[in-house]
Amino acid sequence: MTLLCVGLSHKQAPIAVRERIAVPAEQVEGRLRQLKSLPGVREAMLVSTCNRIEIFAVADSRDAGEDVLETLGPVAAPHAVRRFEEEALRHLFRVTASLDSMVVGEAQILGQVKEAAAIAQQAGALGPELTKVLARATTAAKRVRTETEIARGAVSVSSIAVQLAHKLLGSLDGRTVLLLGAGEMAQIAARELRSQGAHELLVANRSPQQAEELAREVGGVPVSLAELPSLLERADVAICSTGAMEAVVTRELMARALKARRYRPIFLVDLTLPRNVEPSANELENVYVYDLDDLERVAVQNSDLRASQVAKAEEIVEQELKAFLLASRERTAVPVLARLRAHAESVARAEVEKTLASLQGLDEKQQKTVRAMASAIVNKLLHTPTSRLRTEAGRGPLGEATAALFGLEAEPEQPGEQASSEQAQAETAAEGAVLPLLRKR
Amino acid sequence: MATILVHIALLAYTAGAAVFLTWLVRPSPGLVRAGRMLLLVGVVVHFAAFGVSLGVAGAGLGVKAWKGGELFSLLAAVTVTGYLLLDFRYELPVAGAFVGPFTVAVMVPAHLVHSNARAIAPEVSHSIALFVHVGAAAIGTAVLALAFGLSVLCLASERQMKEKRPGRLFARLPSLDLLDRAGYRLAVWGFVFLSLAIATGSLVSREVTGSPFPLAPKEGFAVLAWALFASLIQARLVAGWRGRRVAMLVVAGFVLLIGTYVGLLSAAPALRGTAA
Repeated sequence: MTLLCVGLSHKQAPIAVRERIAVPAEQVEGRLRQLKSLPGVREAMLVSTCNRIEIFAVADSRDAGEDVLETLGPVAAPHAVRRFEEEALRHLFRVTASLDSMVVGEAQILGQVKEAAAIAQQAGALGPELTKVLARATTAAKRVRTETEIARGAVSVSSIAVQLAHKLLGSLDGRTVLLLGAGEMAQIAARELRSQGAHELLVANRSPQQAEELAREVGGVPVSLAELPSLLERADVAICSTGAMEAVVTRELMARALKARRYRPIFLVDLTLPRNVEPSANELENVYVYDLDDLERVAVQNSDLRASQVAKAEEIVEQELKAFLLASRERTAVPVLARLRAHAESVARAEVEKTLASLQGLDEKQQKTVRAMASAIVNKLLHTPTSRLRTEAGRGPLGEATAALFGLEAEPEQPGEQASSEQAQAETAAEGAVLPLLRKR
Repeated sequence: MATILVHIALLAYTAGAAVFLTWLVRPSPGLVRAGRMLLLVGVVVHFAAFGVSLGVAGAGLGVKAWKGGELFSLLAAVTVTGYLLLDFRYELPVAGAFVGPFTVAVMVPAHLVHSNARAIAPEVSHSIALFVHVGAAAIGTAVLALAFGLSVLCLASERQMKEKRPGRLFARLPSLDLLDRAGYRLAVWGFVFLSLAIATGSLVSREVTGSPFPLAPKEGFAVLAWALFASLIQARLVAGWRGRRVAMLVVAGFVLLIGTYVGLLSAAPALRGTAA
């Protein structure tokens, strides 16, 4: 089986492309079912955020990658990247640890990956292989957050939007902030602007009920989206995240508002895909439109400051990746190990029974002691061969030599031996080993 | 004595300019404090030099001659004073990186390049109008020079915000709103002093030439600059103009004002008098 990753992010495609292939939240489950029905695809997960549309899948072979790519449509094809096996795994680890984010170190991506996994599970597309990979990726991401200061200096897209608002307007005291839509990043930015002195926070939504709920949550005033023209006359900062499929704030609308507001500058932050603010509105005097890609440019400057922390985080990801790969490769040694252990235990059990039969008059406690002694001898004898075979991870000659030496390969599995094999597998899994997603090299 | 003091002031200005320029590359609060202190020392010593100079000449309203260099030296001192006041009000170290080099650039030719003394017509050598005219013109020009500096910074900042590619300077700049407000206020004050300078200048001109507004480049540029600043203020008050448009008008107005000084040095009938 092969782990593959097909898709694109802010690094491969500009926002104009990403907004055309964005998958609305309500369509993700359907898309996952479609993926699952592709020939050779066993498991799938779709990470669809403002900055990336990426499919992680477990398939029988690499060939499935092309079919998976087709589901993203012709617009995505020229920009999409296909990653397989170790490369796909590394990418998932880096994405989850926020090392591939537009704003390196931001906290939201871990939640977004977890949410993508939950949706995949709901759609019946998440299986044991992806579950294990995700568990390790999450572990790596948590280590990155706790062992580095990558998240300390900054820097989410929303915090950069707040910084830019200060750069444009100076003090936020007495300013009016308009929140259009209910996107999470927009809410965070609006709260931050409010906490930094913004006088009024207006919350507009298509549904008046949602506007009221959101206004209660963020401490704002609910307003109707129908009043948008007059709201644009009042606001100093507008944060847009409506989820609408077309522009909500058009150039024409903004031009009309600009006259009425006597050319007071306005900062329009567009945090969604497809974009809610017409990019050409930025050409108007004293109107500053920043979308996700624009915020990335500013973020890149900040990320330079944390280069050492990023390097440390990359190191942690590599450590976790290596540990995962080692565990994965160790698994290839399990059949020989399991048969060896089953063989040794079978011999010990037979010898114990023979000995107990010849020693009459032993009580139950004494019989138990003899059995424990035999089991201890087996464990001690097999300790070194087990650890060597695991270290070799199926890549060296020891596995085959062991099988030949003990005559293991020719023996059919007995019911008792099968039980031991299952036990060994369970032990290995408990230590973090996984199914062989990665081909033996 | 006065010359030594001027040289000390020039050294302090140069050091202040260097410190502010270093701050642009490596920002630190210590550098800002040092830069302010050096400019303050420079301007105090500079005014002391003017005091000594006037004391020796026994001048006052009875000055009989002037030099172009002295005029520019006075302009530099007033500009630095204006900057220090502005910095006290708005905290604008980035403007120090503009004012410092500007002051040095004005002072070096003013004091190190020889210029001939020009006589002042006896009809106005004791005139209060001339005294006020020179003072208002110096203050007005200095204030408008600061407005010009802030407007240039405002245009640079606005461009970086629009193009969404903030450079290194962007991090040192204050908010666009502050640059706009401070630049506009300075333009208004500059306009007030410029009006006063033009009004008193016309009185002086009438004394010397008989005409309050002789057709000469100096007066022409001054009136054009005044009209531009008047339009700018009206556009701001009536139509709400701000930001880029206002900054461009301030830059244009200051360039016209420079034309006044070029006119003054090349052909200044009102002040030239008879024994230049």
